[in-house]
Amino acid sequence: MSVYAENTAAPVKAPTAKPSDSLDKDSACTKCHDENESKPILAIAQTAHGNKADSRSPSCQSCHGESEKHLSSKNVAPDVIFGAKKGVFTPNGVKDQNTACLTCHEKDQKRTHWQGGAHQVADVACTSCHETHAAHDKVRDKRTQPDVCFTCHKDQRAQVRKFSHHPIAEGKVACSDCHNPHGSAGPKLLVKNTVTETCYTCHAEKRGPYLWEHQPVTEDCTTCHTPHGSNITPLLKSRPPFMCDECHDGPHASKNPVAGAAEGIQGGLTGNPANPSSSYTGRACTNCHSMVHGSNDPAGALLQR
Amino acid sequence: MKIRHEKMNVKILSLAVRSALMAAVALPLGAYADDAADLKRPTNTIEAGSLYSSQNSARFGQYNGLNDEGFYGLGGFDVRGGEGYDDSKDSALRWKLGGSNLGTTSRALDGSLGEQGQWKINLGYDELQHNITNSFQTPQQGDPDGNNFTLPANFGTINSATGQGGTRSLTPAQSSAFQTEQEYVNRKNGSVSTSYTFSPQLSAQFDYNHLDQSGAKLIGTGSQGGINVGRGNILGKAEGNNILMNPTSYTTDNVNAALNWTGEKGHITGGYYGSLFHDDYNSLSWQSAMANGAASGTSNGCVGANCYVNNTMSTAPSNTMHQANLTGGYNFSSNTKVAGGFSYGYNEQNASYAPTNILQANGTSANMMMGGLPASSLNGVVETTHGDLKLTNQSIDDLTLSAGFKFNQRDNSTPSNAYNYYNLAASSLKPGTSAAPNTALYQGVNTPYSNSKTQYEAVAAYRLSKAQNINLTYDHESVKRWCNGVLGGAQCVASPASEEDKISLTYRLKVIEAVNFNAGYTYANRRADTSNFLANAGNYASQAAVSGSAFNAGNFLGYAAYPYVNRDQNLGKAGINWQATEKLDLGVNGRYTYDNYDATLGVQNAHSAGVNVDATYSYAENSSVSAYWNWQNGQRNLSNGASGNGASQTVAATNIWNNQLEDNSNSVGLTTRRGGLLNGNLELIGDLSYALDTSSYSTQVPYATTVPCGNTTQLTCGNVSPISNELISLKFTGNYKVHKNGKLSLTYMYQKLNSNDYFYNGQQFGYTPNSLMPTGLQPQSYTVNVVGLSYNYSF
Repeated sequence: MSVYAENTAAPVKAPTAKPSDSLDKDSACTKCHDENESKPILAIAQTAHGNKADSRSPSCQSCHGESEKHLSSKNVAPDVIFGAKKGVFTPNGVKDQNTACLTCHEKDQKRTHWQGGAHQVADVACTSCHETHAAHDKVRDKRTQPDVCFTCHKDQRAQVRKFSHHPIAEGKVACSDCHNPHGSAGPKLLVKNTVTETCYTCHAEKRGPYLWEHQPVTEDCTTCHTPHGSNITPLLKSRPPFMCDECHDGPHASKNPVAGAAEGIQGGLTGNPANPSSSYTGRACTNCHSMVHGSNDPAGALLQR
Repeated sequence: MKIRHEKMNVKILSLAVRSALMAAVALPLGAYADDAADLKRPTNTIEAGSLYSSQNSARFGQYNGLNDEGFYGLGGFDVRGGEGYDDSKDSALRWKLGGSNLGTTSRALDGSLGEQGQWKINLGYDELQHNITNSFQTPQQGDPDGNNFTLPANFGTINSATGQGGTRSLTPAQSSAFQTEQEYVNRKNGSVSTSYTFSPQLSAQFDYNHLDQSGAKLIGTGSQGGINVGRGNILGKAEGNNILMNPTSYTTDNVNAALNWTGEKGHITGGYYGSLFHDDYNSLSWQSAMANGAASGTSNGCVGANCYVNNTMSTAPSNTMHQANLTGGYNFSSNTKVAGGFSYGYNEQNASYAPTNILQANGTSANMMMGGLPASSLNGVVETTHGDLKLTNQSIDDLTLSAGFKFNQRDNSTPSNAYNYYNLAASSLKPGTSAAPNTALYQGVNTPYSNSKTQYEAVAAYRLSKAQNINLTYDHESVKRWCNGVLGGAQCVASPASEEDKISLTYRLKVIEAVNFNAGYTYANRRADTSNFLANAGNYASQAAVSGSAFNAGNFLGYAAYPYVNRDQNLGKAGINWQATEKLDLGVNGRYTYDNYDATLGVQNAHSAGVNVDATYSYAENSSVSAYWNWQNGQRNLSNGASGNGASQTVAATNIWNNQLEDNSNSVGLTTRRGGLLNGNLELIGDLSYALDTSSYSTQVPYATTVPCGNTTQLTCGNVSPISNELISLKFTGNYKVHKNGKLSLTYMYQKLNSNDYFYNGQQFGYTPNSLMPTGLQPQSYTVNVVGLSYNYSF
């Protein structure tokens, strides 16, 4: 059984009110923790936390605690040690680490749903994703954020590199464009209340309402699409007509087994002049039923116009 | 003073070539701090250089702007300043200007200015050219980004499958009419974001985003055949397919305004979200070569502008969404908190309908709508309502309790009307035949879909010991579906309601200091109301009497679409991470899911699995080697009926065929970084990855015992050649510090995609179905070499 030690210090104090106070308190730490640290401790000055003229800016003690014993002896850990891996000292428990952050950051719209959310319940620490001392916090940069998320979400790391994908690896779409890792009222930590609302943020042309609606489109885009990546363009779960067959087997051609007929003449199909069929080859069903997201044509009930 | 070499803070190699090359600009790679002041002061960077890409490829350049062979400029900058970086100044003012990928169509610019804690303004501009294909060919003429396409006047007849004039045997004149169109969509995104803090308790935020999209994507179109409007037999082949350039000329304006109040125990935010979508077009028109013919009904040699039926179809309609939002939280105590929100949205669409007149092959105009339109536009309205409330309690040490409620509703109050029109899929007429023209009417009634979802959730997270945690989650979900005021009162949905219960158990264990283990299991059970499966439910209500094929949305008795049937779902997952040494990290995790659907016909079951193995060895400061392997597999099995339509006709077991869909994915990667070479002046980065994704389809037709799978006139059973995409990528980057503030970056990248996809087969000249215009679209394999050299100056 584990014998690892855990610092269970009391929650730290709120930020100081005066910038000069904050600097004075910092100096107690920076006497030792200077530019020679292997990690860029002082680079925090480049971040929002280091903007001392903002009266809300924290001192070292705001997050790490007063750490009086540590000031007396460098062999004693500060009150709050952040991180997941043991270094010189063993990190505090996640709850204590996060309490230090939430003292200031809990009461805002983006973190309203943190408590009881998927990441909070899974004991994800703020510092699992954020580097508060680094001048460049990777998770807050669209180009580098996915790598931070992929540290845990490894299936998605592979999916975003598939043949059909959102421009995530290319730095044009970030995970946080769709997800709020701090918790949300939507499914899968989506930024909006529903899947469709989230997708419409960029794909507003799919919103309608259309004259002729396709029922699953009004409920959940992921019935047909896999947003993290797919082998089938555009982000489809599978290729028509096989995908369409999963919900339709009555209307004309969807009752027929297809198999190699989808490959057409090059796949070995011969026979009557009607082969290959435009219902099976190429876009298959969507050769004609191309308005799968809905049609606004009065003559488009079957999503053909 | 000690010289410190800052650790490179980004896995450049995991980004695509563009972002990787630009990372050197945007990130503080070149920060060589001399002293404390250097560390506290922002590092500004400017990069300039050039890059050469060896091949034209829309796929390689899909999002990175490197779609054409040739040289590209590399340019970027990141400059920051303001008294807020100076502790000696009593000012929190900071500003930033940044630019990246300036030499490509993926360029971005941003800037910000703000007195931290008081106000801030952010400006952003971002471009992205989404390249789709550079092999599309079409005889259609017109502005590639427009919405009206015509055929050359002498293009002639294409009415038969084979032989002279058929799509598999184009005449020389027809073949020469094809030209290549490069398909892409340009996205330009501008944003303004401001915030102002009135007091420690009160602040406001305003965000505006303008997205402009222009270009075209490809779309399938079915042609109207001839129709009988009292002018005799007007010939044309129904459902003739043209793959066309669908115009993308959109603007989307998103506005978000919010007022935030924060008190000692609670906070609340009231806001407005607006999304205004505008499409410059409401229709797409084209001439169909497959729907031409002479009015007499016998000629197949019609030549001239009036030989073609002019078809129209709709495009995405302009629409608006206005939403009021209220969210907040309150701390009853340090251990008991409540959070919740409410939203109301009003979504409207009233764009004018696409023209309903088509120009027939004899030059006369005909209206597809028998009896005209009930309205000139939809007057569509959808109201969305959301509410959520969550209570959390941590009064008991090591125990977190949470209970929540969510409600979402999409209430569609769009008017339901009858739309009677000539059906696209009616009889085909070919020159020389005596078949009657299309007189079949489709009697459609639009069915505005509404739905609501109510969810209850309870979570208990308990720390068994300092090394063990267990989480238990229970969810209940209730879904309802309906349509408001459907003309005639027909049912519109196959499954009007469902209930689902889900329970999850997760266990985490720190086995020893360096080893973390986790495992979880989830079980869900969905019970669907399928009472409407025998009603006239499904696509669209019909004014016709409910009988025959109208039952069960036109599906066979016993068939059920998988999102709307009873389902059992199982998910298991486990993982272990081991920090073997201070330098070596190892991790393995996997998952398995199994879904079982309770349907006589339709999707029967599905399962998926995945494994990830990761290892990182950090053998020195700024030097490491990482490797990963990922495997994913998914399979879905479904049963379909070949005949047995109607409410009283059960599909006989001997008429059931099966489909198996399988996806398989393998990827491995190796990344290495070596810093500190040549007295700390040189850093080398290498990345090698390989990925193979396949999608396979297999159809079993046990009843067709007399027609073997190898029967080349059918090919309705057996295996489809897998769709495969194999990507090999190799990249080296060298960063050499030429002086304190300057760095040269040399990058070489090789990327090869082997793409095999039968999707393209039926679009090739000579191999099309008898009603499909060839496009000549080619699989998007490529082999690209990229070399880039840039100079990065930091100050």
